[in-house]
Amino acid sequence: MVELRENEQKTLLALEKLKGKGPVDQVVKISGLAHAAVMRAALSLTEKKLVRTYERKQTLISLSEEGRNYSEIGLPERRLLNALIKLGGEAKVNSAVEEAGLEKRFLSVALGWLNRKGWATIKKGTLKTMKEPQTGYDENLLRLLTEKEPLIIEDLSQELQKAVSVLKGRRLMEIEEKILRELELTDDGWNLVKKGIEVSGEVSQLTPELIRTGKWRKTKLRRFNVKAPGPPIYPGKIHPAQQIIQHIREIFLEMGFTEIRGSIVQTAFWNFDALFQPQDHPARDVVDTFYLSHPEKGKLPKKDVVEAVAATHENGWKTGSRGWEYPWSPEEAKRLVLRTHTTAETIHYLFEHKEPPVKVFSVDRVYRNEKLDYKHLAEFHQIEGIIMDKKVTLRDLMGTLTEFYHKLGLEKVQFWPSYFPYTEPSMQSTVYVPELKTWVELCGMGIFRPEVLAPFGVKHPVLAWGGGLERLILLKLGIDDIRLLYKNDLGWIRRTPVCQR
Amino acid sequence: MPTITLERARFSHFVGRNVTLKEMAKWLPWLGTDTEEVGSDYVKIEYNPNRVDFCSYGGVARAFRGLMGWETGMPKFKVKQGNIVLTVDKSVAEVRPYVVSAVVRDLKIDYEAIRELMEMQEALHWMVGRDRKKASIGVHNLDAIEPPFSYVTCAPNEIKFVPLDKTEEMTPQEVLEKHEKGIAYKSEVDWASRYPLIVDRNGDVLSFPPIINGELTRVVEDTRNLFIDVTGTELNPISRSLNVLVTALADMGGTIESVPVEYSDHVLVTPDLAPQKMKLHVGYSNERLGLNFSEAQTIEALKKSRLDAKKVETGVLDVTIPAYRIDILHEIDLVEEVAIGYGYYNLTPTIPATVTTGKQHRVSEVAADVRQIMVGLGFVEALNFVLANEVDHYQKMRRKAEELVILANPVSTEYSIIRNDLLPSLMKNLADSKHHVFPQRMFEVSDVIKLDDDSETYTERRIHAAAVSSHPTANFTEIKSILESLLMNLGFKNWTVKETNHPSFLAGRVATVSLGNMEVGVVGEIHPEVLNNFELENPTGAFEIDLEKIIKAFK
Repeated sequence: MVELRENEQKTLLALEKLKGKGPVDQVVKISGLAHAAVMRAALSLTEKKLVRTYERKQTLISLSEEGRNYSEIGLPERRLLNALIKLGGEAKVNSAVEEAGLEKRFLSVALGWLNRKGWATIKKGTLKTMKEPQTGYDENLLRLLTEKEPLIIEDLSQELQKAVSVLKGRRLMEIEEKILRELELTDDGWNLVKKGIEVSGEVSQLTPELIRTGKWRKTKLRRFNVKAPGPPIYPGKIHPAQQIIQHIREIFLEMGFTEIRGSIVQTAFWNFDALFQPQDHPARDVVDTFYLSHPEKGKLPKKDVVEAVAATHENGWKTGSRGWEYPWSPEEAKRLVLRTHTTAETIHYLFEHKEPPVKVFSVDRVYRNEKLDYKHLAEFHQIEGIIMDKKVTLRDLMGTLTEFYHKLGLEKVQFWPSYFPYTEPSMQSTVYVPELKTWVELCGMGIFRPEVLAPFGVKHPVLAWGGGLERLILLKLGIDDIRLLYKNDLGWIRRTPVCQR
Repeated sequence: MPTITLERARFSHFVGRNVTLKEMAKWLPWLGTDTEEVGSDYVKIEYNPNRVDFCSYGGVARAFRGLMGWETGMPKFKVKQGNIVLTVDKSVAEVRPYVVSAVVRDLKIDYEAIRELMEMQEALHWMVGRDRKKASIGVHNLDAIEPPFSYVTCAPNEIKFVPLDKTEEMTPQEVLEKHEKGIAYKSEVDWASRYPLIVDRNGDVLSFPPIINGELTRVVEDTRNLFIDVTGTELNPISRSLNVLVTALADMGGTIESVPVEYSDHVLVTPDLAPQKMKLHVGYSNERLGLNFSEAQTIEALKKSRLDAKKVETGVLDVTIPAYRIDILHEIDLVEEVAIGYGYYNLTPTIPATVTTGKQHRVSEVAADVRQIMVGLGFVEALNFVLANEVDHYQKMRRKAEELVILANPVSTEYSIIRNDLLPSLMKNLADSKHHVFPQRMFEVSDVIKLDDDSETYTERRIHAAAVSSHPTANFTEIKSILESLLMNLGFKNWTVKETNHPSFLAGRVATVSLGNMEVGVVGEIHPEVLNNFELENPTGAFEIDLEKIIKAFK
């Protein structure tokens, strides 16, 4: 004897009432169970070979917006014809249209169908009709749909089914396909039902009362189908990008770096001039950098520092450099920008912390005036690390980066010569990403130029590296549209696993 | 970044021996270039804007030969003394004061050479000339014109000539109005009363700098001799551009000939290919690179970078830098040349000796605490841009726009201001997520920027925390409990909740929260009109607090 759960029993009884066969919706109604409960019961009953499940495609039709409009005021050809009959069966097109109150945009439709349906003839602008034609199947279908929506195509008469294609062609109807599930008792199922099923008082939820009173001993606790899917539960969660930011911050902290955090709005002085980027440098153009209109300009630091920076740009000052050979403008340096790199804060920090060693980092917001697309953001994050110390070298920079990458799980690293306006020597690093089976460019790096350090009185070499965080995030999360990252679609965050290491 | 496509056969010709694609792809990056594409018979590389000399085959080949050790030390270029004179009229001082010039003879110019010549000009215009402002180049068929030449000015409609790529004559004024290049670059001269012009002895126009050349001097496949002018606003950029160009032409087989440029008070003979001299201290180089090179080893590396060097005293080298290397500003640039000559691939990583301890920023610590508590309360974190717009942040929130931080050059209407609170961003997130399962609970711990008269930038970056809870039974009581749970878990015991008015919240269901006398935030039930504005259908509770104030309260 098969053991049945309460929902299974109720489903079988409902099917009995339906004479052995019926759609799921009916079973739901009769059994009083939830839809999902019937579906679960049907699944287990099918496994027990007591019930068979049939799936049938159903095509549902309903009115489109235009169709709904016509169903109220009539098809345009019918309206024109009615007007014509009212005018005595013969009239100029214009007067018939006026009589019918037909909007201009419907005129060609109306004339076309009058002709196609053979309801009227048109000669030299005059319409003529014999007698009032009967209502067509298309009009009947329209009326039926007004009364009851949606209709199932498969249940319609042949004539009405033909009318479906006519109305569909006129875009008066919307068609939707649906799967209809039907349940049917098998012979075994019938036998069981015939023996008589008594719905036992099964209990699905163990309650405090049952536990406290000990009644649970006499209660039949329903066996659960442990394989049945339950409703999903979503935990609270840290944003996937933030998780990776945290991870990188932890690596820096493990490596003995201090976190710095500075202003997002910077003067061009700190963002560019302090970093020896000449004032006519293309990166400073409005097509690359966001400037502010309110407030528009900021304040420059102490006079001696500004003068040293100005002289370094103009002629190299005391640095031994030839400089950029142009007249430096303090007004240009006062313009406020959304920082294009966190290095704007780094040099500011070094100015205020000249005693070695200084090991600092940030993973923070930066901006470029870019149109958003699948691989560009106007606002993103830069990873930056800085070491200022007596006698640190380019090879030390390579070693530090290698360690940094290893901690990120990137084992193979290569260093190439490169160029950045404020470092010399400069390097670019590529790492091998096993998942992609390819080398990817990540961080750029170098030693700060003397032209950058001298005006701020920094005496020791400064190793610096930086790179885009989002590039790393895309690699880790395996997504290919960067915009998804900060759209904060709840579904995406809920789906993205916490563990990304 | 600029690119150059190097066809293997032509590149081999310039290198002087047969080079395979594999060798090119393998070794070119060690010069500091990026391989963009390896084709069937070419390699396309991206080079850095400091190495303008890489704009020609000759320039890349010179460096390549050095790197491979096939030819080291400084390449030598001969300049023959010429007698074609370029006279400079005083009036050019008002519009485009400087010009330098050269003649290059006996070239065999083919289709490839013409293309390379054009690409070189474009690269120099961009990298040195800053889009022709500081320097622009004219290359002319010398045999189509008659020396001597003059750099003069004319009234906008004084003369007519056929500009390059046209068949009809135009006045300079018409060029600025009708010719594509005229339209593109007119701002360089249209403010002046007279326009610059280079003409020959008959008054035939060679060029209207920095706009366009005359059709008359177009360089074609059988052109053999070139006259070159470079005009600009400063002397150094034009001299350097000329040097890069003529050395590349010399590598193409031409003979460089000097031109006396006669200014009103002096004569400048150009091009001047005299090498630049600079000292390099071997100790300085070793210290930066982490090497222990002798003078001889340093010299060898420099030579592979195509520089000459000799020891003048212990630890000090005299370095001679060829005229086409316009990127060497400081001794440190020579240090990089040592590294490139030695080969970055030969440098092995080391770890700095100093031991330090790490420390996170106080803001990050507190932000992490808030994140932990909010996640525990079942909230999902959002991370939004600081860039925002007035519609979402003010209109939809039923607020009047206050004193805002506004972008001067926004890239779209979506991002035109900078937010000074977080809630509008979270409302937008709810609007974007409304097809997902409810309840929806989101929070953000992030940056806002406020105006601040005392700061250097007149703005202040602050960190806020905000949360929204949206579902059919959300209300004031729920969100207040959540905020209080947050405060309690942050370690606070006493706070004051006081009814307030706020346009974004329902009246009677909104309150301020204070720690001591310090108001730290607001909590309430979002106004239904705000919900309508964001097309949301569920009641929504929300709070926002200023974390900087919380940090202050900790002390």
